[in-house]
Amino acid sequence: MIRFLLKGIVRDRHRSFFPVLIVTLGVAVTTVMHAFMDGMADEMVRNMARLDSGHVKVVTRGYGEIVSQIPNDLAIRSADSVMAALEARYPGMEWTPRIKFGGLLDFPDSTGETRAQGPAAGFAADLLGEGSGEIARLNLAQSLVRGRLPSSPNEILVSDEFASRLGVEIGGTATLIGSTAYGSMAVHNFRLAGTIRFGIAPLDRNMLIADIADVRYALDMEDMTAEILGFFPTTVYDDGAAELLADDFNGERPSGGPAGLRMLTLRGQGGIGQMLDMARSRSAIIIAVFIVIMSIVLWNTGLMSGIRRYGELGVRLALGESHRHVYGTLIAESILIGIGGTAAGAAIGLAVSYFLQEVGWDISGMMRGSSVMMSNVIRARVTPATWMIGLIPGMAATILGAVFSGSGIFRRETSRLFKELEV
Amino acid sequence: MWSFLIATVLLPLPLAVSTWAQESRPPDASRPSGRAVLERIDENLVLDSATGVSEMIIHGRSGTRSIRSRFWKQGADSSFVEYLSPPREAGKKMLKLGDMLWTYAPEPADRIITISGHLLRQSVMGSDLSYEDLLENSRLIEVYDAEVTGEEPVGGRPCWVVRMTSRVDDAAYHSRTVWVDKERWLPLREERYARSGRLLKKTTIEEAQRIGERWYISRATFRDMLSSGEGTEYIVESIEFGAEIPGHIFSKAALRQ
Amino acid sequence: MLVPKLAWRNIVGAGLRTWLNVIVLSLAFVMIIWAQGFVRGMFEYTRHTMIQYEIAGGQFWHPGYDPYDPLTIDEAHGIVPAALQSLAGEGEATAVLVAPGAIYPDGRAQNVLLKGIDPAQTVVEIPTGTLAGGGDGYIPALIGERMARQTGLGEGDWVVVRWRDAGGTFDAADMRIEAVMSTTLASIDQSQVWLPLEQLRGMLRTPGEATFVILGRETPPPAAGGGWIHRDLDYLLSDITAMIRSKYVGMAFFYGLLLFMALIAIFDTQVLAVWRRRKEMGTLMALGMVRSRIIALFTLEGALHGLLAFLAGAIYGIPLLWWTARAGFPLPEIAGEMGFALPERLYPSYGALLVLGTAVLVMIAVTVVSYLPAAKISRLRPTDALRGKMT
Repeated sequence: MIRFLLKGIVRDRHRSFFPVLIVTLGVAVTTVMHAFMDGMADEMVRNMARLDSGHVKVVTRGYGEIVSQIPNDLAIRSADSVMAALEARYPGMEWTPRIKFGGLLDFPDSTGETRAQGPAAGFAADLLGEGSGEIARLNLAQSLVRGRLPSSPNEILVSDEFASRLGVEIGGTATLIGSTAYGSMAVHNFRLAGTIRFGIAPLDRNMLIADIADVRYALDMEDMTAEILGFFPTTVYDDGAAELLADDFNGERPSGGPAGLRMLTLRGQGGIGQMLDMARSRSAIIIAVFIVIMSIVLWNTGLMSGIRRYGELGVRLALGESHRHVYGTLIAESILIGIGGTAAGAAIGLAVSYFLQEVGWDISGMMRGSSVMMSNVIRARVTPATWMIGLIPGMAATILGAVFSGSGIFRRETSRLFKELEV
Repeated sequence: MWSFLIATVLLPLPLAVSTWAQESRPPDASRPSGRAVLERIDENLVLDSATGVSEMIIHGRSGTRSIRSRFWKQGADSSFVEYLSPPREAGKKMLKLGDMLWTYAPEPADRIITISGHLLRQSVMGSDLSYEDLLENSRLIEVYDAEVTGEEPVGGRPCWVVRMTSRVDDAAYHSRTVWVDKERWLPLREERYARSGRLLKKTTIEEAQRIGERWYISRATFRDMLSSGEGTEYIVESIEFGAEIPGHIFSKAALRQ
Repeated sequence: MLVPKLAWRNIVGAGLRTWLNVIVLSLAFVMIIWAQGFVRGMFEYTRHTMIQYEIAGGQFWHPGYDPYDPLTIDEAHGIVPAALQSLAGEGEATAVLVAPGAIYPDGRAQNVLLKGIDPAQTVVEIPTGTLAGGGDGYIPALIGERMARQTGLGEGDWVVVRWRDAGGTFDAADMRIEAVMSTTLASIDQSQVWLPLEQLRGMLRTPGEATFVILGRETPPPAAGGGWIHRDLDYLLSDITAMIRSKYVGMAFFYGLLLFMALIAIFDTQVLAVWRRRKEMGTLMALGMVRSRIIALFTLEGALHGLLAFLAGAIYGIPLLWWTARAGFPLPEIAGEMGFALPERLYPSYGALLVLGTAVLVMIAVTVVSYLPAAKISRLRPTDALRGKMT
């Protein structure tokens, strides 16, 4: 029986090709959409993690309390041994130091006198360290506007707007006049390697990015770091794992005063958790609406493929097939179409989603200048739900369509159905 | 008194030096005028040259550190400091000529920075005072009206209590109270007040020493009274009065040498 | 009139099929409007809040004022130009004096901006009335929630504030936190303390001076003089305008998908209709209807889906959108920490332009999609069509 139905479906292009095509398309789009929404939420987390919060972050208690004041005198001491201890205790994680700082960036003329200067918001990361993933993590290569990335010590990047406003040239000297962790005046010469764009107005005004080794030297923070960011090997943030890690770490350090170390999870920092929840519920709404729309479209398709065949059904009824049997074959057919379409759609959708997850879709060509804040690569995330999500519109809606359109068989007179058989 | 502070904490220059002790006059039975006390203190400041080594101990949130420096000083307006340790600060220099101030950061920065505008607000070496304080008019008598309001011993030594109130608009502190050793004419304690009357800063002298006929302050502590920090200690390790100081020391060119 | 009438009858006659198409299309339509309304609501809220609390009808800046350069703030004040002064006197503007200072909660210095504003002002909705009680004895202060969190200060707490007057003399006094205001705007909150203007002028010894002047919402900018720079709303809002614009772009992908799905449904319907109704076309041709009119008929049938979707969308969409616009959506309170103001509840905002624009876009798309299968008709021979054949 199924073979018979299959033959029918395959041989009649209108019965097979279009419905299957549409189910396939619908399921594929739903699947990709789902993976894409998850990917967007991940992207938000990833941005936050890579720029500021890490998956987990280690700071001193004192620093954590007044973090908005950038209290570098409360930075982590013996940073190398803390890092080593973290690496030993939590193998597989990647740990990287960061320092934020403020200061005056002063551009001298040929005689060494100040030519232009302005306040800068500094950001130090391990740009030059061997095996450091910071340049990639901060998306610096894509954000470069002019010049090049720092490749040797004492080279910095500043926001393009900042450099333009001060009228400074790539390759020129830039002296940071800041304050050491001990409050002394810090004077350090950098060379302007390039300019970048963040895509966030306040940062684009006066950001300065330097290698952490230089900044440690400049700010008298040898073997110190303000923050140590920890990243799981997966790009996706796992809150449960981060909680476990933080509990384990903090559990060993009950208090320790202002210099005591604390590990914060991404969710635990500055209300990021609530933001994630909001993003998640928003994407759930969008997915739900999308599935509803998709389902109606496919239902409609099922309906039409039924209507299309009223004539044929009339003949079959006239030949003595029972209403029930005709209806049954119609639904069986729609199940076959649903299975075929859903399988094909899920396959295509998952393939695209996996591609977007693993490779990503580089949209930098479409963006008018990219920036640190925005990754140029759109990524999806495939979860177990991604595998299943297409089933709802693919199977349920298609069959429902057939159930509704087929019900016409019972309502109409055989003769009327027969009349629709065009010869 | 400002210069006294500069002497003790900021540009570690021992300006508060007294030779009056040698005259060994008995302490005045009658109270001197405030003006007379200020004049005497100011006169101390224009003593001839001095050079030496001093140490500053700074108590910060993150611990304590000590900074040593060599200083040269000529009259009230010219001074030059070269930092010796810790290695981090060694080679940094600072020059004050009248109301101008420069610092020099050695190689690799190799830059002379004119301390002006916002930079004046920065703390000197992490102590509780700012560069701006160094540019204060060092002659108290030009800035403050003074009145001796009483006497009170400090550390066992009898002192005049002198209350000073600024009569210019740009004084950093609206008023001050100084405890001046009746015999040696050294200020032994000082408090500085805001216009509102709130105590902002407090200096106490822990030790004074005598070289030849001069008294000088060899150990003092300075505290910012608004914050809960432990303040900054200042110690003179060695000092030589009347040394020959080549004139070129007090020039911008000397910063780079 | 024949074609529209026929088209109407045909599509209504198609029953469930039509209504499913209409529902899909109307859902897409309503969703697009809703989502855009959401973003627009965000923008309007931020804009509205900034106008309400911070910029009102625009500002006049002292020539030296640059809010992004903390190093020059203490120089950026001067006598308020007479024109602005008189507006302030009439309640049409209010002057703000800004000065750097430090407060010492728990004996730890924190740098802040002291902002003086007239407690009686009504130009912006900062609750400056809470500052009215200040006397000679102390300085009344108003801070925002972020600042309260940052410093651990609460209503009724005392804290030492230190500043320097215009001559550079240090001064310090006790300040009492009169109120902690709830605000979503970091720009009037973070690291800032609001004081009564005259008291701050007294503290700084800068009588009659200000850093900037906020104009009333309805006040036309006067010629200020004195080099004071007029900053209009476009200038003051440019950051958030740019940010919202990038949001719109991000959502375009989502709109595209929604619309695409709906259009597939219409396309499918049209293909089927053209295929099933060959005889009808043949009959119409035989009766003398020219091909172009038949194409018009079929295209119109498809396009009517758009119109019906518009109406159907209106039936459930208007109450729905109206309700969401009134009830709003709860947002986590920290959303505002990310740089621009966001409220606890977000109220979507739907403009006429937004609705009409979306409608026009959907109609055009639907018409195009309806036309494509119908265009096949032009190659149809009436004789074949009559016999139910498609060539």
